[in-house]
Amino acid sequence: MSTITGNGNRLGNDAPGGNDGFLPDFCEGRNVILVIIGAEVLAFILSLAQDVTGGELWTRLLLISLFTQWVALGSVAILCYFRRKVNDEDTRRTIMLAYGIILTVTLVFSLASLWLIQTLYLQVSPDFAGNFVVRNLVICAIVTALVLRYFYVQHQWKTNTEAEAKARIQALQARIRPHFLFNSMNTIASLTRTNPNQAELAVEDLADLFRVSLAEKNLLTIKEELEVTKRYLNIEKHRLGNRLKVEWQIDEDIDKYIKLPALIMQPLVENALYHGIEPLTEGGTVTISLLNKPDAIEIRVANPLSIRSDQQQHKGNRMAQENIRQRLQLAYGDEGKLNIMTKDDLYVVSFKIPR
Amino acid sequence: MKIMIVDDEKPALDRLSSMLNNRDSYEVCGEALNGLEAIRCAEEEQPDIALLDIRMPGMDGLEAARHLSEMEEPPAIIFTTAYEEHALEAFETEAVAYLLKPIREEKLLTAIEKASRLNKAQLAQLNHGEKNTRTHICARVRGNLELIPLSDIYYFQADQKYVTVRHTNGEVLIEEPLKALEDEFENQFMRIHRNALVSREHMVGMNKTPEGRFQLVLRDADDLLEISRRHVAEVRRFLKGKS
Repeated sequence: MSTITGNGNRLGNDAPGGNDGFLPDFCEGRNVILVIIGAEVLAFILSLAQDVTGGELWTRLLLISLFTQWVALGSVAILCYFRRKVNDEDTRRTIMLAYGIILTVTLVFSLASLWLIQTLYLQVSPDFAGNFVVRNLVICAIVTALVLRYFYVQHQWKTNTEAEAKARIQALQARIRPHFLFNSMNTIASLTRTNPNQAELAVEDLADLFRVSLAEKNLLTIKEELEVTKRYLNIEKHRLGNRLKVEWQIDEDIDKYIKLPALIMQPLVENALYHGIEPLTEGGTVTISLLNKPDAIEIRVANPLSIRSDQQQHKGNRMAQENIRQRLQLAYGDEGKLNIMTKDDLYVVSFKIPR
Repeated sequence: MKIMIVDDEKPALDRLSSMLNNRDSYEVCGEALNGLEAIRCAEEEQPDIALLDIRMPGMDGLEAARHLSEMEEPPAIIFTTAYEEHALEAFETEAVAYLLKPIREEKLLTAIEKASRLNKAQLAQLNHGEKNTRTHICARVRGNLELIPLSDIYYFQADQKYVTVRHTNGEVLIEEPLKALEDEFENQFMRIHRNALVSREHMVGMNKTPEGRFQLVLRDADDLLEISRRHVAEVRRFLKGKS
């Protein structure tokens, strides 16, 4: 299952927790750690920039770290708490609010540290105090601007890639092929005269098929995909009569609620019919298997190898396969492969759904 | 008017058939499920018009049309198809009649009224279109059409005006030029001599006669064909690649 959820993110299905704006979720541990590291890097740069060496340098680093971490963690805490209010689709508003919050936090901590220094150690001149607060605010303003800018660009980049992936998947989503549509329409027109009941069933099957094909759903359960494939075969059976024989080999212990990319099996069966059954005067058998393998479920579609049409060379066949190959790869990464082999006089296409 | 309907899908056949049987002036004289059956049926029934589905198993509609046009009294041909096929685009300029399925009754009737035999230009389109390699060779034997599957043919041998087709069950004469056959079947047949085109599948070896001539040995046939000098190297290369 982990693959599917993992890939759900890649498909842009579930956006991370209510994040409409460009800021990352500061309640998330990973982001908090990144902020801590960032603050520490800043502290390091600030201490190195001062003209001190040896033990003095480490004391400075310690003090500056203490301050930057306070500011960073304080800001993160507030941004986390108010994330729904701050992180808005209105980018300008988000920037203003985040900027305001971080500068305020800096101001508060600057004053707090001044107060601490004064009570613990020594009096400081008002000159130094003013200088200290202003310096902190300016540094903070610059750093915050850079960081916000970074988050913004990062977010843009992410949305773009997600949108691209989504568009690609939608483009790849198997559509009902015109060939099949017109053939079915013709079959239905014929059946309306001779066998209205069958015509009605065919229309219902076609409607179900279209519903799935037109829905912009990325994933279907195995059960749903099997259902769609059966509907498709029902329609083709009217047309091809007893030239078409279908054999199902489904391992019993297969979890039929596992999800897979929508309409990934049906096009393979369609290919098998188009290239394997239709060219044969006597017809033949298409075998559809769902096999339980140790690390995956294997789906296999086999059709008789026709002497006349070289299935592997056929342009339409290759295009359909390329499409499925790409969708498998988008869904399962390197594990998503489409295997094609000819065994005896069978043409077998198979792929695996990793567990 | 006698009409033959050819379609591999039974529902489609039934539909056209019932449309035409409603009319008094038309008679459905035969139904066929593929190109081969269509030719046999046409021989027997001598239809005036053939409604030919393009995509069919065994022999498709385009090839059936070519063979039907060899008949003494060829039928007029109307192609039917569920989808605008690439193959038809080429014909559009030649105005070959075709109907898109599901076929409307009125369009069917208009097409039948206007139907005519394929003319020379249209036939030429059929003959020279892309990928229109025939699966059968058609010969006229005592007035009847005989269809020889390409895979049964050992070789074509040219002799003056005719070409002898030597095949599993004997030989027949056809009138097509060897050059045209060579162009059409270059993947399945190989030129070994000015007058001979041999099935690549049936080529098994070559002999050298005491006089220094080369002869081709065929599988399943005793005939020894002479290989001309300029083709020896090519034949040898091919046989080597095959073994």
